[in-house]
Amino acid sequence: MRRTLESLIFWGLLAALWEYGVGALGIRRYLLPPLSAVLAAGWEAREMLLSETWVTTTEVLMGFGLAVVGGILFGVLIHLSPLARRTLYPLITALQSMPKIALAPLMIVWFGYGLGSKVAATFLFAFFPVVVATLGGMQNVPINLDEHFHALGASRWDRFWRLQMPSALPAFVDGIKIAMPLAVIGAIVGEFIGAEEGLGHLMTLATANAQTDLMFAAILVITALAVFLYALVERLARAVWWRGISY
Amino acid sequence: MDSSHDSSQPVIAVRQVLKTFAGKREVKALEAVDLAIGAHEFVSILGPSGCGKSTLLRIVAGLTPYQGGEVCVNGRAVMDPSPEIGVVFQSSNMLPWLTVRENMALGARLRKLPESAWAPKLEQLMGMLGLKGFEQHHPHQLSGGMRQRAAIGQILALDPQILLMDEPFGALDALTRDRLNVELLRIWQEQRQTVLLVTHSIAEAVFLSDRVLVMSGRPGRVVQEIAIDLPRPRRPESIKENPRYGEYIAELSSLMGVFKDEH
Repeated sequence: MRRTLESLIFWGLLAALWEYGVGALGIRRYLLPPLSAVLAAGWEAREMLLSETWVTTTEVLMGFGLAVVGGILFGVLIHLSPLARRTLYPLITALQSMPKIALAPLMIVWFGYGLGSKVAATFLFAFFPVVVATLGGMQNVPINLDEHFHALGASRWDRFWRLQMPSALPAFVDGIKIAMPLAVIGAIVGEFIGAEEGLGHLMTLATANAQTDLMFAAILVITALAVFLYALVERLARAVWWRGISY
Repeated sequence: MDSSHDSSQPVIAVRQVLKTFAGKREVKALEAVDLAIGAHEFVSILGPSGCGKSTLLRIVAGLTPYQGGEVCVNGRAVMDPSPEIGVVFQSSNMLPWLTVRENMALGARLRKLPESAWAPKLEQLMGMLGLKGFEQHHPHQLSGGMRQRAAIGQILALDPQILLMDEPFGALDALTRDRLNVELLRIWQEQRQTVLLVTHSIAEAVFLSDRVLVMSGRPGRVVQEIAIDLPRPRRPESIKENPRYGEYIAELSSLMGVFKDEH
């Protein structure tokens, strides 16, 4: 109760500061419109905002889903195969250090202006943290449990499914928590570079038309979307509660 | 268990075993260790930490290779972990994401035993080990003592002919340890597995064992063997009244003391 009150007051003050600070400091509206103007612009464009949000959400979820599946597959493959560790792993490390944003225009060239290039860009941003986290998690099996499974004559299959995968889950879950906001960035970047729809595209249009209030409305929606998707992943991640427990 | 097994032959036979750990400087962990344990015998290995007693147990369990000599279980050379052996470690090795019951069934599942062979036994073990009512709990909701009981239950559910125990109560407080010793002895008196226990507790070794082997460290060797000639069934209250109990404790204490001074 008290905490709710605290955060209500905090956000209220922040909103008031924005609303009245702009006028008090004489900041021009095309640089930073007051909050009320942003909300009004957003309300006026609500139908467009909603449909663009839907487009962006689809891109994010598809790219993120592919990144999670691909990240697990590559993480497991690199862990299980010494050859993949010697070849794929250095490649993935190198690609990870490369600024993904530099590849986004290439995605447009390869996959066109539609959904494909945005999904690809999203995938690029979200994929690497999942691979690295999966791989790290797979190496996290406590040595005493490893020996215990050996003493019990566990098959490779059982060792993998009953020991290694559950042991890897806490690190994996950390990885997808990092990947989720990156996926949103990937989709928006893809839309900036070349798109006909989506929130990122709406922002470039608003900028071109000097509609700063609409641009801010789009930023608020993107932020809300990112926060919501992160909260969703956070929620799922809570099913993995055995982080750091070992007997 | 093994019909080809000749009763005059030891169940566990270790002859002139040598173990070195490679590294910057090679470390001799075991040197010419001999050991023979007969069927249904309860034998403890007592020694200071670092004397190689756990290494010896791991060799018998087929968990670690050795360089020289010979290790046989039921007359067959040990290469890998074998199904007639159950190992209880110092850490309970409970998987935190499984319930107590799932954990206790895990060993049998990993060994691919048919459910009919272990499920009734598991229920019985739950009762014997005071775990009734905790089946659906997770290990972190249990005390260390209860986790260790569950760990023992997991191994007993396999119905092993041979029990190897590596300081199974080493991480527990003295009171819990004493209580679990009594329970272990009661179970052993009923089921009579061949037991090899590694411990650094003199009282525990004397209370439980038919024979106590004393090891010294660097390199590890068996330096003394003492038969514990105390009547069974043993109870903690009555055993302490036996004058020989005190003598064994004193003798082993002085032996252990000598080796401690070497360090």
